[in-house]
Amino acid sequence: MHISEGVLSPAILIGGAVVTMAGVAIGLKGVDNKNIPKMGILSAAFFVASLVHVPAGPASVHLILNGLLGLILGWKAFPAILVALGLQALLFQFGGITTLGINTMNMALPAVICYCLFGWSTKSSIKQTVFITAAFCAGFCAVLVSSILVGFSLYLTGEAFLPAAKLIVAAHLPVMIIEGIVTAACILFLKKVRPEILMNS
Amino acid sequence: MFKKKHNRKIFPLLYLFLFILLTTFSVTPAFAHKVTIFAWVEGDTIYTQSKFSGGKKAKGSLVTVFDTEGNRLLGGKTDEKGEYSFKIPKKTGLKIVLKASMGHMAEWKIPVEEIVAVQASQNKTPEAGVISNTASPSNLAPISDSTSLQREEIRRLIDESLDKKLSPIISMLAKLQDQDPGISEVMGGIGYIFGLVGVALYFTNRRKKL
Repeated sequence: MHISEGVLSPAILIGGAVVTMAGVAIGLKGVDNKNIPKMGILSAAFFVASLVHVPAGPASVHLILNGLLGLILGWKAFPAILVALGLQALLFQFGGITTLGINTMNMALPAVICYCLFGWSTKSSIKQTVFITAAFCAGFCAVLVSSILVGFSLYLTGEAFLPAAKLIVAAHLPVMIIEGIVTAACILFLKKVRPEILMNS
Repeated sequence: MFKKKHNRKIFPLLYLFLFILLTTFSVTPAFAHKVTIFAWVEGDTIYTQSKFSGGKKAKGSLVTVFDTEGNRLLGGKTDEKGEYSFKIPKKTGLKIVLKASMGHMAEWKIPVEEIVAVQASQNKTPEAGVISNTASPSNLAPISDSTSLQREEIRRLIDESLDKKLSPIISMLAKLQDQDPGISEVMGGIGYIFGLVGVALYFTNRRKKL
């Protein structure tokens, strides 16, 4: 879901960059040395996750893990995803430097939305089934919202919205399900082994 | 005391990360998410090959050809094999742009010299044929004509066999175009991130002391 350079119009690129900057500013507020290693490791996980390839549809799709980042980091997912996407653009030529802003927004905004929607579940001591479902939904919805955002950015540059968005959502359907399972498994593992990690974000 | 506790807290995350890293390299050979186009001139035709890195062909993707001034010359869609070919529309440098689905784009430039070189050798062939046809009945200079005809013939044959011989090299070059990120890039990126964590920790610690 990395949008390549030269596809989008400058206005959208600038818009995406502004949103990303605001998100990073919010994310970096109140960062202390308890959060930094957590952000670093999750950023590295996000960086590597895009190499896990899922063959589907007309394009190739890969794991994203933005739901997991959102659940654990909240707003701090913004700087973590920005760093990972920047390195992917530099080292793998995924996306590009000019599209870094919009790409970060498309990935990190859904992460924050999932944090707002499902973040409560990781903190309270609710039933395990509810908790697992919430984690699955977070992983699923993060990719879904990301797909819609990518479709929307393409639409703003002139591509027809419905076919583009439909195509992207359809291609990412297997990824959504896998993401949901991976997110649920990770959160469950963390909750059992070290619940403090989920508490203080 | 605090430090030790803090370190222990981070361990599960580290395990998780290592697990993801392991699955990445064991389950699939590092696959990527990028599209590439590769184009070459053969005779008076330009062939293009498009694929997503990882080797998946970019089917039904939009290919547009521009000249050096950015005017659109022609366009079309790639076939089932991700290939698209067209006749050289005019003598100019060409920029071939591929637009695959989901905002993927790639381009390939063919410099004007490549096209001119090919077209020059093409244009000479019929001319030489016409000259030899008109000249042969009169039998004025049969020797020089036949040598020029032979020359053109030889040139054409060489061009043809070169195209044939070069095609595996061209396809090899096309493959080299989209190399997947190797382990060194991946490790480099992870190193950068951990380095940034170190720098950030340094600054937050210093802020605390001040």
